[in-house]
Amino acid sequence: MSAWFCPEILLTLAGVGLILVDTLAPEQVRRRTPLLALLAAMGILGWSLWPESRTLPTSWLSLFISDGLAAVFKPFFLFCLVAVVGMATRYRLEADEAVRGEFLALPFFPTAGLCLLVSARDFLAVFVALELVSISLYLLTAFHRTKPASLEAGIKLLVMGGLSTGFLVMGIAWLYAGAGTTEFSKLLLTQAGTGANPAVLMAAGLILAGIGFKVAAVPFHAWAPDVYEGSPTPVTAFLAVASKAAGLILLLRVFGIGAFALESMGEFFRPILLTLGIATVTLGTLAALPQRDFKRLLAYSGIAHAGFMILALGTGGEGGVGTVVAYLWAYLLASLPVLLFVNEMERLHGSTDLRHLDGIGRREPGPSLGFTLCLLSMAGLPPLVGFPVKLAVLANLWNAGERPALVVAVIMAVAGLGIYLTPIRAMYWEREADAIPARRFPPFLFWVMVMAGLLNVWLGFQPQELVRLAEKSLSPLPVLEAIRE
Amino acid sequence: MCLPAMLVIPLLAVGLIALGSRPKVTALWASVVNCIPGCLASGGVLRSGEILFGPEPIPAREVFPAKFILGMDGLSLSMVWLTLLVTVAAIGSAQAGIKREKEYFICLLLIGLGALGAFLSVDLFYFFTFHEVALVPTFLLVGIWGQGDRAGAAWRMTVYLMLGSMVLLMGLIGLYLSLPETARSLDWRVLGETVRANPLSPGTQRILAALLLIGFGTLVSLVPFHSWAPGGYASAPAPAAMLHAGVLKKFGLYGLMRVALPMTPDGWKEIGWIVGLLLAGNILYLGLAALQQRDFRWLLGFSSAMHMGTVFLGLISGTVLGLAGALTLMVGHGLSAALGFAVAGEISRRTGTSWMQDLGGLAQRAPKLWFYLMVAAMASMGLPGLANFAGEIMIFFGAWAAHPGLVGIAAWGVVLSAVAMLRAVRAIAFGAMSPAVSAEGVADLQGIRETWPLAALSLALLLVGIVPLVVYGPAQPVLERLLTP
Repeated sequence: MSAWFCPEILLTLAGVGLILVDTLAPEQVRRRTPLLALLAAMGILGWSLWPESRTLPTSWLSLFISDGLAAVFKPFFLFCLVAVVGMATRYRLEADEAVRGEFLALPFFPTAGLCLLVSARDFLAVFVALELVSISLYLLTAFHRTKPASLEAGIKLLVMGGLSTGFLVMGIAWLYAGAGTTEFSKLLLTQAGTGANPAVLMAAGLILAGIGFKVAAVPFHAWAPDVYEGSPTPVTAFLAVASKAAGLILLLRVFGIGAFALESMGEFFRPILLTLGIATVTLGTLAALPQRDFKRLLAYSGIAHAGFMILALGTGGEGGVGTVVAYLWAYLLASLPVLLFVNEMERLHGSTDLRHLDGIGRREPGPSLGFTLCLLSMAGLPPLVGFPVKLAVLANLWNAGERPALVVAVIMAVAGLGIYLTPIRAMYWEREADAIPARRFPPFLFWVMVMAGLLNVWLGFQPQELVRLAEKSLSPLPVLEAIRE
Repeated sequence: MCLPAMLVIPLLAVGLIALGSRPKVTALWASVVNCIPGCLASGGVLRSGEILFGPEPIPAREVFPAKFILGMDGLSLSMVWLTLLVTVAAIGSAQAGIKREKEYFICLLLIGLGALGAFLSVDLFYFFTFHEVALVPTFLLVGIWGQGDRAGAAWRMTVYLMLGSMVLLMGLIGLYLSLPETARSLDWRVLGETVRANPLSPGTQRILAALLLIGFGTLVSLVPFHSWAPGGYASAPAPAAMLHAGVLKKFGLYGLMRVALPMTPDGWKEIGWIVGLLLAGNILYLGLAALQQRDFRWLLGFSSAMHMGTVFLGLISGTVLGLAGALTLMVGHGLSAALGFAVAGEISRRTGTSWMQDLGGLAQRAPKLWFYLMVAAMASMGLPGLANFAGEIMIFFGAWAAHPGLVGIAAWGVVLSAVAMLRAVRAIAFGAMSPAVSAEGVADLQGIRETWPLAALSLALLLVGIVPLVVYGPAQPVLERLLTP
């Protein structure tokens, strides 16, 4: 086994190791589990950022691929893991405190699955990786087992996840029937130049529905708000950022640069993707406006963001793909700090209702400032990093001549401002909250939030860094490489 | 180095205030000190016509060509000075010791910073970005420290400005994408050369000119996109209204001069009749609306929006004289609007009301305040010797050949404005002393400390009124270049 598999193997080993430590180690060591988990996650992240070429052993070439997209997104998921583990060490489990070790260990497994997923080049590998992710996530969503909402979230995710897996498997079966293969590059070869085969179209449609559930695209979004609200906040973060990103990367691979983007297939799916995108953006934005629970609000805002990315994908071509890559990173940089803040707020107040934000801008100026900046970045307001990526979506839509989608995207971008200004208004305008908690935010939150906010500003002024990342993810162009083989 | 210094100094002051230095003193010093690099930069401009800071445009094609280039020429010179001066006056007349003083002065500094950045940017990306920097501080200023229906005014203002900005953004994206791929650039000097060498097709020009007109027009409160302005200014705290009406609104006009006029000359001519119709609406409809106002701040808001019509007349005049007049009127209006809102703020702070029927007899009680009220009113109605007159008369002369009818309407605008202002002065300053004015504790402006911001604005009005050459002289070569096809 070469070094190429190391993030996944290390992640699995770390997860297993943490569970072993938690069960077998003496009490003094067990108390250090949170620290160990955090260090392990950071270590793996650092390792994955090490600039070293990792060639894939030839025996694995039929299932996995090592390309720019994988190289750009493995650190993405590991970054999420660090944040999620960090949040998990701070999350209050109350009656379930005894099993915190597992709560810390479990996120390692879906992360391994996601890392496999972004480098999969065969639908079988995709399916196996997705199952690894899903099963771990069912456990994590329902982890707060003394809380009915958490159990409800777990059941909902289980049912809806099962349904989406069903769509996906069905799609893969149709694909095999129609095209005779499930491997991306062979699909490209067999599909290139031929007209769209109805069986393959059907397969692609089913696969699109399956992935649609993962990214919570309308009309497959209904699970998201309840699951986000009920899950423990660290798990919400994982769902909102890592899991959603994985679905979008899969979409990129098959509908952006893969077999389903070819000629007549691509032409067939472009309007479908655009329609999906328009519906997702519109519903996500409008439904987020009246929300009073922060996690629900984030669920709908995440739906809206997925819609923007699907719109970019629907324009086709390199520009759209690069835009999604940059958008995902911008989304990560803005939404992870927001969730971290929400996690701390929940720790102090016991819930994530927006009213806990009342007057927080005066009590906690530093964290609130960072929080504000990240929210504005999600709103896509200059000079924050959310602006250039939204600009790229709009520019791509204009370039592709998709006027209706463009108009909807613009209106929703404006309406979206209302989503994020509502919490800001609560923080700075409203009167002091009645019950001021005795405890304050921990000092580390100040630094994390301020740094995150400044990072958002800096990247907003220097979006060239994101462009470089997007270019890197596209090189070598997987399509070309696949055809050459 | 002077150009980035003008942006760094306010930023430093923001940091210092956040760290606990005395808000008003710090903000005031920063805005006064900021005039030093302003002077140095102006010296450079007067010597060499243009000064630049930042990387030179690289001819190689890039995916995202935004470059952080700052530049100043004869046209931006007067805008930058308007910003510097109004910022000093606004911060000088802002109340120390107001509730939540820190955030108040930070927001004011950020508005000034955004305006300066926009006027100094050569790159369209940063031009747009800097303007948006001011959006959120405005929302907070109106929402937290505003009067009357502050929440409604803040939301209306923010959503309107955001919507306008998005339409403007569409125009800019369209402009960028309608150039041939090898010639794309965001630097408007490069853009100008490109467009001059091979003009855009008439259809494209028409669409772009319309988008830019609506986008910039909303920011300038062109009828029918004006309804955010009067109420927003009436609700905003006086310094915010001074900065917004005095400086930030000029961004739209400046943008039209910089982008719409040179890049889409034929489109601009083609939609000239629409602009004419709308500006007539501004002058007549808003002028009549101003006559109906009972609240002095609303009256100022309407009259400020109304004068934008005259500036638009200068923009469609197609002559250097008309453009020079527009520029002079922009400066004059910026100064007089800032003076007007400052006086209105002082009056309502002292008497607790700005309803004109509740005021009366102010001239006896507070003669100094009355004097500055008169200056603001005289400037606004176009009294010779003050800046607005110079601008208006140049516009009328410049536009006479092309649009004699509109000049007639604009002349009526002067009459309407005079009637509205004189009625306001009569109601506020003369007649029997009302209870609000005769109440205990209503004092005149106290010494130099309260007078100097108003005096500085009045002197500037007088200077530009007597020697308008200081404004349009340096800009003349730039304006000539804008008009040569």
